[in-house]
Amino acid sequence: MIRYVFLFTIVYLSFSGCRTDYDIADVAPVEFLDSEENHEHLHEHADEDTSCTHDSNAHTDGETGEEHSIDEHVEASHAGHDHASGTRNHGTQWFFNQPWAAPFIWRKLFRDSVIFLGLAVAVFFLSSRRRRKR
Amino acid sequence: MKAVFTFSLMTLRMLFRRRTLWGILLIILLALAGIASVPSFDVSNQGRFILDFGLFGIEVGALLLALGLAATLYPRDRETRTLMPLIAVPLSRWQYLLGRFLGAALIQAAALLVTCLGLMLILLFHKLPIPGDLLPATLLIIVEGWFLLSTVFFFSFFTSPPLNWPLTTMLFIVSQMSVAEFVGLLPSAPGLMRAVRMILPHADVFHIKDPIAHGFAIEPVYFLVAIFYGLCYSAFMLSLALAVFRGRDLK
Repeated sequence: MIRYVFLFTIVYLSFSGCRTDYDIADVAPVEFLDSEENHEHLHEHADEDTSCTHDSNAHTDGETGEEHSIDEHVEASHAGHDHASGTRNHGTQWFFNQPWAAPFIWRKLFRDSVIFLGLAVAVFFLSSRRRRKR
Repeated sequence: MKAVFTFSLMTLRMLFRRRTLWGILLIILLALAGIASVPSFDVSNQGRFILDFGLFGIEVGALLLALGLAATLYPRDRETRTLMPLIAVPLSRWQYLLGRFLGAALIQAAALLVTCLGLMLILLFHKLPIPGDLLPATLLIIVEGWFLLSTVFFFSFFTSPPLNWPLTTMLFIVSQMSVAEFVGLLPSAPGLMRAVRMILPHADVFHIKDPIAHGFAIEPVYFLVAIFYGLCYSAFMLSLALAVFRGRDLK
């Protein structure tokens, strides 16, 4: 009986579903990863502006004729974009790629727990039988 | 089971009298006090800093307690020859192992709860709020500590205590790694590394310090799943330890 339990767990562990790992970025469904794409870029200027004339410390905007220092330009181009607080985005992937935040792997966790429990019982009885035989 | 319970109480009393326990507990509490006195510099919330590093300190404390409490139990019993009379009459080998494990697990849990109380006092001292999930987070660390304890027992049946320390610490570090990081240790054999990683535990299941420090709520069902996972894995490690112990010739 125990031998069958042991064989069953080995076969079960060899299923492809069991071989899927816990790296959440790999196994996450699309909707879980989608939220990182939904952010608004507030500053598009840096990519669009192609008509700037630069000197060593400042440049003049070709369209508006306004003069910017390089520091201002860099600051503006890195002003980036806005994310809602507490949501998954490209800067917080590490935070949300943890098991507590990924309910889709909880079932796998439970299944693995049952497998390990089954293995524990099997090893317990098998080692007991082996000892009795000696 | 009565024999196991009695023996675990004996183990508990024995470990309570050892200076190792009190030494490690003192080190953890001093480390927590030290963490709290480090300025957070640019971190906007000092409480977040203390919580994050405090829970990490408690986790490392769980490792130290597991090693300090259990690494010498079996070797000492064998050396002092108290093991033979114990397993000759009143206890079978599995009862011996379970009794020792339960006694050490209770002491370890109590010590980790004391460190949790210490962290709470530090937060209160700094007039910072205590998050509601701090106690459940400590409970998860206790379960992780039990897994480490079962690992220490497993290694103690075929290695000496000085070798047990690095082996358990190595397993502790490896179990924190993601699958991609683990495969990166030996990129030439990804299949083998994936198979090995599948058997190793996933300690990140027990880590909820980040959401607690940032004020995220965690669903209660997650705690149950994580605790169940930790207990099942500990049972698996204990069964392996028992298999090794049963195969040992004690003469």
